[in-house]
Amino acid sequence: MIRLEAVVKQYGLNPVLRGVDLHVRPGEFVTLVGPNGAGKSTLLGIVATLLRPTSGVVRVGGWALPQQADRVRRHIGLVSHHALLYRDLTAAENLTFYGKLYRLDDPEARALAALRAVGLFARQRDPVGTFSRGMIQRLTIARATLHEPDVLLLDEPYTGLDQEASQLLDELLRAEAARGRTILMITHDLEHGLGLADRLAILHRGHIAREVTRAEIGPAGVYEVYAEVMAA
Amino acid sequence: MNEYLAAVWAVVWKDLRIEGRTRQTVSIMVMFSLATIIMFNFGLGMAVNVNLDAGRNVSPALLWAVVLLAAILGLNRSLALDRENQVFDALLIAPVPRNALYAGKVISITLFTLLLDAALVVLFTVFFNRPFYLPVVLLVLFLGTVGYVAAGVLITSMTIQARTREVLLPVLLLPVSLPLVLPAAMATTTYISAAMLGEASWAAVQAPVLLVVAYDLLMLGVGFLLYQYVVES
Repeated sequence: MIRLEAVVKQYGLNPVLRGVDLHVRPGEFVTLVGPNGAGKSTLLGIVATLLRPTSGVVRVGGWALPQQADRVRRHIGLVSHHALLYRDLTAAENLTFYGKLYRLDDPEARALAALRAVGLFARQRDPVGTFSRGMIQRLTIARATLHEPDVLLLDEPYTGLDQEASQLLDELLRAEAARGRTILMITHDLEHGLGLADRLAILHRGHIAREVTRAEIGPAGVYEVYAEVMAA
Repeated sequence: MNEYLAAVWAVVWKDLRIEGRTRQTVSIMVMFSLATIIMFNFGLGMAVNVNLDAGRNVSPALLWAVVLLAAILGLNRSLALDRENQVFDALLIAPVPRNALYAGKVISITLFTLLLDAALVVLFTVFFNRPFYLPVVLLVLFLGTVGYVAAGVLITSMTIQARTREVLLPVLLLPVSLPLVLPAAMATTTYISAAMLGEASWAAVQAPVLLVVAYDLLMLGVGFLLYQYVVES
């Protein structure tokens, strides 16, 4: 579903990605971890069609990026630690707006159904500016999945969430994974990273330094593997 | 085509909703304009040995100065909404042509600026006792507003990620808009002066108005063609 081969991204003379190879199969949940500055957000930006790679091959759903970005955009949803929502619009208005951009049939009804699914139906008429961080993140997931994308991209979704909100987000992400969506998440949070994912990829010094499955290492072994890679 | 227009309308609908709820963009522009007009009028009234009529004759040029500066406030405010919470990223990954986003933004900010123009026409007519409500003056104001906003949205989108965007916008936009503002101010001044003498004619302002139209077409064309490159990294 997502395939990156020898992907390089440079900002001026500064290389951020130095030849990344990564393959995420359909329906798989892969978490990408790495230290600050490793290039995680850059990589996700490339897959999300926001950034152009300097070189290399990027394919999402069989379509090449950046050449077929228009087609890819219909099939991806992005959840970020930024809300990507208008504070002055209500929850329903925000989703209706995105429903219109994605040319959904009856965007108002789809927006209300999505709000019901994330437990925010009662707050549909409240401006997003009045929402707590946890509510905003639930609304963000509703926005990102409103058009039923095949691929869900998650950029540090746990940032700023308390424990209760994190658990709720876990449940929502599990539900999205159970629907068969392909999920690529980047995070600093190793525990959450492996807790939900089928596979963990560690990005270090601009390339994928190690890939492990949850079955291989289990939650306890993740810190050890990560420390090994960082020390190498 | 319908899908394209639907995307344009979605952006306009969203901006109108936000403005309808907050009323910040238009009110900021009108408050700034009101303060400027009152200060200028007060200064003119207090000045010694000044021909009041001669002072009022420069009011069409002042009108354009106010429109340019107030519209910058409006552009900054409107584009700040898309910058907040990184919403602009969500717009960019939506499956809509980038220039539909540009068109939507130009239409909504033009509507806000036209509201400002309407308020300015009333204020300038009252404060400076000149016929700013004449149809030709309104036409020039409309055409000038469209061209200025078309250039402004393009430049604002270029500077949206820069830390010094509030400073960069006027530094880049004002020189770029000179070829628009000079003929627009010339046409407005010429027509109002002639109207005061009862000699207003379209022929006298035709050439500068055509220059304004040419600028509008050029800037809208450049915007439609280049917007996708401007917003991509």
